[in-house]
Amino acid sequence: MITRRVLLGSALAIGFAFPAYAETLNVLMEGVPDTEFVKQVLPEFEAATGHKVNLEVVNYAEMHTKLVPQLVAPKGSYSVIVVDFYWVGEFTKAGWLQPLDDRIKADNVDTSVYIPALMDLVGKVDGVTYMLPFYNYAMGLTYRTDLLADPKNQEAFKAKYGMDLQPPKTWDEYLKQMEFFTRDGMHGVVNQGLRPDPIAMEWSNYLFANGAEYHDANWNPTFNNEKGVKAVQQYADAIDKYGPVGSASFSFDEAFNVMAQGKAYSYITYNFFRTAYDDPSKSSVVGKVEIMPVPGPTADTGGSLNGAWGWAIPKSSPNPDAAWEFIKWVESPEIAKKRALLGGSPTRTDVFEDPELNQKYPYAQALKSMLLTSHNFPVFTYTPQLVEVLGRELSLAVAGEKSAQDALTQIEKEFVDLAKKDGKLK
Amino acid sequence: MADIVLDRVSKIYPNGVPAVREVSLDIKDGEFMIFLGPSGCGKSTTLRMIAGLESISAGQLSIGGERMNDVDPADRNIAIVFQNYALYPHMSVAGNLGFGLQLRHVPKAEIDRRIKDIATMLGITELLSRKPAQLSGGQRQRVALGRALVRDPKAFLLDEPLSNLDAKLRASMRTELIKLHQKLGTTIVHVTHDQVEAMTMGQRICIMKDGEIVQVGAPMEVYRNPANTFVAGFLASPPMNLVSGRLEHDQAGLAAVAGTARFVLPPALRDGYAAQSGNAVTLGLRPEDFHLSRGNVKLSQAVPVATVATEVLGPEVILVCELGGNGGPEVMVRCPRDFSASPGQPLTLHYDLSQIHLFDKTTGKVLSRPSLI
Amino acid sequence: MIESAHALTLTDRRDRRFGWLMASPSLALLFLVILFPVFWAFYTSLHDYTLISPNFDTFTGSANFIKAAEDGQFRHSLWLTTFFVVAVVLLEFLLGFLVALALNKVERFKAIYYAILLCPLLMNPVIVGLIWRMFLHPNLGIVNYLLSVVGIAPVNWLGSTKIAIWTVIMVDIWHQVSFMIVLLLAGLSALPREPYEAARVDGASPLQCFWRITVPLMRPVIIVTLLIRLIFAVKTYDLIYIMTRGGPGISTDFISYFIYRTAFVSLNIGEASAMSIILLGIILALTVYLYRYMRSLT
Repeated sequence: MITRRVLLGSALAIGFAFPAYAETLNVLMEGVPDTEFVKQVLPEFEAATGHKVNLEVVNYAEMHTKLVPQLVAPKGSYSVIVVDFYWVGEFTKAGWLQPLDDRIKADNVDTSVYIPALMDLVGKVDGVTYMLPFYNYAMGLTYRTDLLADPKNQEAFKAKYGMDLQPPKTWDEYLKQMEFFTRDGMHGVVNQGLRPDPIAMEWSNYLFANGAEYHDANWNPTFNNEKGVKAVQQYADAIDKYGPVGSASFSFDEAFNVMAQGKAYSYITYNFFRTAYDDPSKSSVVGKVEIMPVPGPTADTGGSLNGAWGWAIPKSSPNPDAAWEFIKWVESPEIAKKRALLGGSPTRTDVFEDPELNQKYPYAQALKSMLLTSHNFPVFTYTPQLVEVLGRELSLAVAGEKSAQDALTQIEKEFVDLAKKDGKLK
Repeated sequence: MADIVLDRVSKIYPNGVPAVREVSLDIKDGEFMIFLGPSGCGKSTTLRMIAGLESISAGQLSIGGERMNDVDPADRNIAIVFQNYALYPHMSVAGNLGFGLQLRHVPKAEIDRRIKDIATMLGITELLSRKPAQLSGGQRQRVALGRALVRDPKAFLLDEPLSNLDAKLRASMRTELIKLHQKLGTTIVHVTHDQVEAMTMGQRICIMKDGEIVQVGAPMEVYRNPANTFVAGFLASPPMNLVSGRLEHDQAGLAAVAGTARFVLPPALRDGYAAQSGNAVTLGLRPEDFHLSRGNVKLSQAVPVATVATEVLGPEVILVCELGGNGGPEVMVRCPRDFSASPGQPLTLHYDLSQIHLFDKTTGKVLSRPSLI
Repeated sequence: MIESAHALTLTDRRDRRFGWLMASPSLALLFLVILFPVFWAFYTSLHDYTLISPNFDTFTGSANFIKAAEDGQFRHSLWLTTFFVVAVVLLEFLLGFLVALALNKVERFKAIYYAILLCPLLMNPVIVGLIWRMFLHPNLGIVNYLLSVVGIAPVNWLGSTKIAIWTVIMVDIWHQVSFMIVLLLAGLSALPREPYEAARVDGASPLQCFWRITVPLMRPVIIVTLLIRLIFAVKTYDLIYIMTRGGPGISTDFISYFIYRTAFVSLNIGEASAMSIILLGIILALTVYLYRYMRSLT
């Protein structure tokens, strides 16, 4: 173990110690915790290689608008970019990303350590590797352990439902808890019902938890059925019956605040919020919230939605070689682990297995199993547009302006159009 | 009856600056009264108090025997013509004329008739559909006047209405206003800083300075007997020459002495002034009381002067000269149009002693004298 | 005589040429910055131009326009935006005029009032949206807390399809009303004082003065103010993006956000351009009409 690290370290040192010439790397990133962790380890890269890295950190909302002009240009200003899984279909279809396979082969980079679902999401597209998974934002069920442990609650729950009160093993069990905890000014759940991505992403968990998927292997839609209708109705109930007023318009930060202020029992959200619950400056429920995979229809299945960002080199990158050096470094086992220890969301199995990490973050295994049982959102050229359609129709259904069935029918119709337009569906 | 009576009327602005102090004046019904004075003397403020556009801080204003202090301007039934006409820019001439009548709910037909009458009277019939911006200064002046006339008010208040017109137009409007007054016989209060307007138009002039009335009287009365050096220096152009001097007794009797020039007072005046003998006085010598020859002036005094310059005006020549010869105080003298003199040239003029005015050196007030006639 | 006339026209011509020369940089800039994008958008709207294949290979003629016109969502957005614009412009105008009239009478501390009023106007709409989202948080926001203090049930400001648009209107008023106030106040303080005195002597009451003098004299200022505000209101985007994303349902799905999504989410620049051209046409027609109307008044 030690020798391996020394070897690797010296290999890195030799590789990076004498760069042909120092370059400046421009990287566009979103202002999220994982970006912060990259920033913290960045001096090591600069010291080792002599390259200078400019991190341009912006809001998610600005990223796409900033990226596209640079990607369309023959020579853009970004050396390295991070790609949300949303954009993967669009970026690869438009041919804006450089294939990485040759570089991976030449440098013997092992991509098998990445969780397969993540590699599918933000790694390979149609057999070509365009990205290395950066961090995941798979969604999990965050819930109040203290409420579950309260004997009074346990007793009352048992009396009402005839089962033990414990971290839910199935989706149905969770729905019962949602109902149970909605009392005395407390809410069973808080939702992020804002159009388009918060609602679309969150509802996807409901869809998967009911045992449905968006499409089959041939891209035939598989959600306009009884399971889909149930998912929409359960989601509308969660907002209207078991959630606080206004959650139909909450973005994730607002929903998080409700949960962090101790006003709700549960919240299905991105896993990177887990650390924030233990930050006393943001949360009044420190040590009382845990995360688990969204339960599926049975105890051995999960309903979590997967989500991730990947590192990529745009075709328009001014210095692709230095860019690859950077990606190689930032995704090296050593740096990936460092980032994870700082609180990042890992994408590599070896990092998940690291004893140091498991000691520091006991819930690391829960995150891993969440990733392993998670489901992917349809990744194709029109992912963002599908999110829009979902956002609009689900929002209408939640507002009671459309029935669950009508909303799903409309989503199916537009999904088929988009998938056909993209050539996925014949 | 629309006599306007001001009884110790004062205006003090909120910041404590007094603009008008205890003005008392009785403007008779049908009178053409002029408020004359330099800018800032309070004449416009007084007018605006009469109109009701300024509140009255103290004293009483009555119009037609009724106390008006707190009456709304609309209910005083007076009309005002502003210096810059204050026409309603968005209304046609007809609209401007009819606005006040409309507000008073005069029937439409009656309004039209009155507008037509007034427009005919002022010769602005063709302008009725135009907007103020399309009118010349003189035309706007007429419309402003028409707007006052059409209401048939108890009194007209004119706030320097001619000052924005060119000289020629001003002269003709002067005459028209006089004719109008003769025709209508309505009370007119006319504010001006132009002494020619004051002299030519008014039946009485009220001269103001620093918020106070200095003198009130018919134009010639004020001209003949200015109450102080201010009035003396303000009225007529060129105004009365004011020269420092003193009263002295000598062998010829009582004489007013200014530098080397001596004006021996006529015997009839001596007794009146005797008490002031030896005192410093200001001599008031009107330019028109100097003559090139003795002519038929009864009580004349030869005065040596040294020419400084001549101003040829056409109808007359103004001679600027030093009284008593080189180095004496400078005075202006009206001379006939054919007069000429070169700078430095010594002349002998003849002064009509019966017209001499003497003012107290310190207060500036006229030293009263017995009438000569 | 003929010679001198000839010389004059020569100078004239030289003057004119010099004038063009002096104006050419700004004209070129105008062309580059305004006309070129408009023409580009128009040209694009006639093609099947997407971000996936950004080229003008497929000429589609009016297809994009027909597609937009037939799109129920687009028409809904258009109608919704019209409603929003009319409501916002009208309410802001009434409120703004009222405040401007009151402030016009104020003599002291005018600068302080101005400073306070300008504060919201100087704020970035994104920040305004974020602040208000915070204030209007149904459970943790201060607005509902204050309402609860006086015993009013919490209002679902942004989560109800009935209320959300009015919430957006309210926030927009908060943000933009000072624009109206400042412009109208400038207009009011530039009004001549004399006609009012004349009117007082003519017998007009304060109310009559307002309707018969202030309003007509202010009409050009009012129209320009309304026009500018109207054009800006049509473009409302940031507020929606931050506060509602067009939701809940489609209750605040304004045209700018709709076009943005067509361009950058659906990646269909051609259709988005067609929609923009339709919008431009509407705004242009409105502007020309109001401008003509204003000209006819003076």
